[in-house]
Amino acid sequence: MTKTVAQEELSIELMLNRPWVTIVWDDPVNLMSYVTYVFIKLFGVSPEKAHELMMKVHTEGRAVVSSGSREEMERDVQRLHEHGLWATLQREDKV
Amino acid sequence: MSHFEGSSHSFSIHLSHDEAEILINLVEQLLELLGEGDFFHHYDTTDPLAQMLAMPLEIDIPEDPVLRRLLPSAYADPESASDFRRYTEPAIRGMKQRTLRKVREELTGIVDKTEDSGVIDDLDPEIWLLALNDLRLALAVRLEISAESFEIFELLPDENPQKSIYAVYFWLGWLQENLLSLLNSPQGRETF
Repeated sequence: MTKTVAQEELSIELMLNRPWVTIVWDDPVNLMSYVTYVFIKLFGVSPEKAHELMMKVHTEGRAVVSSGSREEMERDVQRLHEHGLWATLQREDKV
Repeated sequence: MSHFEGSSHSFSIHLSHDEAEILINLVEQLLELLGEGDFFHHYDTTDPLAQMLAMPLEIDIPEDPVLRRLLPSAYADPESASDFRRYTEPAIRGMKQRTLRKVREELTGIVDKTEDSGVIDDLDPEIWLLALNDLRLALAVRLEISAESFEIFELLPDENPQKSIYAVYFWLGWLQENLLSLLNSPQGRETF
């Protein structure tokens, strides 16, 4: 299927503006149940998905919890810091 | 014994007078560390001009390790981290201060009375959850908490002052877990 000009522009826009990810790092303090609760609250994910993400942080030391534009990721990181989680953002290709 | 009670409509906490005093002391210490003065009050305003005028040119990474944990760097790159800090740190500090002040205000109800214990009714569980978490993070930095801490502190002699601080840290974790279990119960979940 041929892409319209608008679709083409959209995919260029996505390429340029979406290569950022928010990473949550493991720490020995935040309770597993609390981290799960924060993921549900901030990202609107199901309790199952939130638990899965939390376990990934816990077992692998870190996990990508969201991706999007730099501005969106900065907002996510700010909200995670407000909730006491250790979060950073970076370009996706570095992960 | 201290514990939370609650359903989707209202949450309360039962505390002994001594427990309320321990909590209020911790809250006040953390408020002091966060800079309780009105230095950052400009940022609470919604007036964009006032916000722009109050924007500092630069905010350094906090020297105190507790503040470094509560206000971590968002980027590995120092320049981006500094920019992010400049735009967000006042808001994050302000949010943490408001949360802690609210909890302090509610605790005075028990601390100021002579009764052995008291109840705080109709508390905001979100506020308490955030405050308890920040207090735990702060204590954890001072105690240098690691994955092995439980065993390490268990083995310390009772007269070691670090051991009693660890007991408080452990108690705060228990309280937080208690509140989370209420929030995660089918009734509590209705609140969000």
